[in-house]
Amino acid sequence: MTGRVCRGCGGTDIELDTARGDAVCTGCGSVLEDNIIVSEVQFVENSGGGSSAVGQFVSLDGAGKTPALGGGFHVNLGKESRAQTLQNGRRQIHHLGSQLQLNQHCLDTAFNFFKMAVSKHLTRGRRMAHVIAACLYLVCRTEGTPHMLLDLSDLLQVNVYVLGKTFLLLARELCINAPAIDPCLYIPRFAHLLEFGEKNHEVSMTALRLLQRMKRDWMHTGRRPSGLCGAALLVAARMHDFRRTVKEVISVVKVCESTLRKRLTEFEDTPTSQLTVDEFMKIDLEGECDPPSYTAGQRKLRMKQLEQVLSKKLEDVEGEISSYQDAIESELENSRPKAKGTLASLTRDGSVEDSASSLFGEEDPEDEELQAAASHLNKDFYRELLGAGVSSSSGEAGGPEGGSRPPALESLLGPLPTAASLGISDSIRECISSQSQEPTEPDPNAAALCFPVAGARGDGELDLSGIDDLEIDRYILNEAEARVKAELWMRENAEYLREQREKEARIAKEKELGIYKEHKPKKSCKRREPIQASTAGEAIEKMLEQKKISSKINYSVLQDLNSKGGGSLRGGGAQPQERAGARKLSRRKTPAGRSGADPVSSVGKRLRPMVSAQPAKRAAVGETLLLSSPSLGAEPVRPTAVVESGPVSYPPEEDPDEEDPDEEDGEPCVSALQMMGSSDYGCDGEEDEGY
Amino acid sequence: TTPMDADSDVALDILITNVVCVFRTRCHLNLRKIALEGANVIYKRDVGKVLMKLRKPRITATIWSSGKIICTGATSEEEAKFGARRLARSLQKLGFQVIFTDFKVVNVLAVCNMPFEIRLPEFTKNNRPHASYEPELHPAVCYRIKSLRATLQIFSTGSITVTGPNVKAVATAVEQIYPFVFESR
Repeated sequence: MTGRVCRGCGGTDIELDTARGDAVCTGCGSVLEDNIIVSEVQFVENSGGGSSAVGQFVSLDGAGKTPALGGGFHVNLGKESRAQTLQNGRRQIHHLGSQLQLNQHCLDTAFNFFKMAVSKHLTRGRRMAHVIAACLYLVCRTEGTPHMLLDLSDLLQVNVYVLGKTFLLLARELCINAPAIDPCLYIPRFAHLLEFGEKNHEVSMTALRLLQRMKRDWMHTGRRPSGLCGAALLVAARMHDFRRTVKEVISVVKVCESTLRKRLTEFEDTPTSQLTVDEFMKIDLEGECDPPSYTAGQRKLRMKQLEQVLSKKLEDVEGEISSYQDAIESELENSRPKAKGTLASLTRDGSVEDSASSLFGEEDPEDEELQAAASHLNKDFYRELLGAGVSSSSGEAGGPEGGSRPPALESLLGPLPTAASLGISDSIRECISSQSQEPTEPDPNAAALCFPVAGARGDGELDLSGIDDLEIDRYILNEAEARVKAELWMRENAEYLREQREKEARIAKEKELGIYKEHKPKKSCKRREPIQASTAGEAIEKMLEQKKISSKINYSVLQDLNSKGGGSLRGGGAQPQERAGARKLSRRKTPAGRSGADPVSSVGKRLRPMVSAQPAKRAAVGETLLLSSPSLGAEPVRPTAVVESGPVSYPPEEDPDEEDPDEEDGEPCVSALQMMGSSDYGCDGEEDEGY
Repeated sequence: TTPMDADSDVALDILITNVVCVFRTRCHLNLRKIALEGANVIYKRDVGKVLMKLRKPRITATIWSSGKIICTGATSEEEAKFGARRLARSLQKLGFQVIFTDFKVVNVLAVCNMPFEIRLPEFTKNNRPHASYEPELHPAVCYRIKSLRATLQIFSTGSITVTGPNVKAVATAVEQIYPFVFESR
């Protein structure tokens, strides 16, 4: 290492200590290199007499301790944290992967995915365990190993959908296309678990064939592959005379019993199920089936159509209905909705429901007849409504008078919506023409459908056209109702209210005792931007503004030093830089020896700002103030004593300290740094420097 | 040729099932008062909101004390606006100085049915970046169209659920997806 020049003082006398792996300048004492990598192996003697190899362990991934110290502690911090994250991740991947019996290659790939995820900041805001699991599952998918997401969630005891969400996000961000799962992959695994002995292979083959058949029959789209596997294996086992119960299969395959049964029934519906075992092995049916959910939908549709046809037929049977007609009509008039308040309407609905319950148990044809009768009647009803303006009719809801009335009511109100579609145009006309005149609300279904499409006025005023004020009025309760409601709500939410009161009482008590600690939301630490300065002096200025003053330094001692060495400062720009660097360093190290008076004067400068900062604030944090008084005393003297010369100018003001001033300062560990220029605590500078 | 064929028989009916909209009243609302005097409200004090349900356009509105209101359950954009105005009117009647501003439709949910079934794994393979299919988690393929900010859920039976910022985007999304889906039937 001859020919090297110290960055600090420019001296060429560099001492290389291979035992510690350091390169130190003997002139200014700055450490130029740390953790030097050498190719020879040396041995040193221990205190015990034995000898050990010289050197330090440096980790494979991650930088470990960077060779170049100082300059850019910010970055050093970031790197270390990143390295730690990666290390941690690697460890967890190995731990989880070994439980899944993944080989080393898979684990390495998973770690690569993890590194990519970390570099894209995808781990932020997510549990590390989730991200790790997602990486592992990604590997499983790309490699095609028979591991399910369910397995991972079992291991971690996490909801499988949460894992799935993370996995999908990861796959999307990393632009990795995970190939689709084939249920065939899972067969060997499950077959092995079901212990078929020597016939394992045969059973697997049969199950595979079954799966192929299922795929062609559209049973497998959208279904969990494990469910299909379970069904296939069950049938295959039975075909080969193995008695495997549904429960055993479930415990292996991890689906619910009902799911398995459903798959089996679906398979039963396919024509393939009709073949015998031998036939199945030989023939393959050509036709394909529709997916089961589709057939279910079709079935529903057909049922509905049947019902409609049936009801139409019955409409023609009018003979027996006429006798019911009159009874129903009168009942209708009696119990038309007269909504005075919502409570009243609720009771009305209640009575209807009561009558509805009496309907059960009636035979169908009668019901249908009634329905038909009711629909016929509805037309009459609407004609009446329009014509007569049927208003308050006699009497309230007459009690149910025998079996014919209540059912009629219910069936009347039942098909109302369908009848309403007939009567729409009429009711709309009515609605528009007589909007606010009616005391009673017209049929809600009819009125609901008139929406005048009025444009809103731009200035925010409410356009009232088409809004039925009266209906809205009904939404507002009167006094008594409001009280009742308040009472109900109180009772419902008693728990919550009680908790609130307890919490307040607790807070009040704590306040009295003075130990009430308000939980303020944590303020995230501000990241400081690196100081951009053209000269060292500027850099120092800016840094002084940024940095906070320390309370751990015994400034009185420094004073003396300062007075001694006041004039010796002012080297070139290098000096102030060093000082700046020293400050940076000293934040970490405790003030060691004080060499050189350089830093002292800067302390002096700093002293003024320190004093003006509220001492009270620092007391709150519990730090001991070493020298509030002495410094105050010293203060007036200071300015005169300090020799202000050179480029460094005194910052007249310091920024208000909210947080406690970190230690800092002028600790004369000038021996510290190579300052690549304190202008950027840039890691870039460092990297160039290092080998 | 396939696109041409696809276009010729597109007469799909898209059924809008839900429209979500927001608006502001520009005035502070006293939730307690609304809760006490409204007949159709649910007061959730722990989260600080009131749910008000209207019957005529079937709408459920979430009301915050800041005056922001979210309105869901409408079946068309006009209906949503109408319902929102009714809501504001009823708040006015309760005594608040309500101004109806910043009305915006935020989300539209629609359902649509294809007359054929769809092979999902094949579909996913052909539409790699946009489609994502995870049979272990959800039986449908989730297809996102970034330009329209719409998401479609495609089921194997041929029914498609679309969500988008407005009705037009939803319609465009269905039109866009039709040819792709037609290929994988």
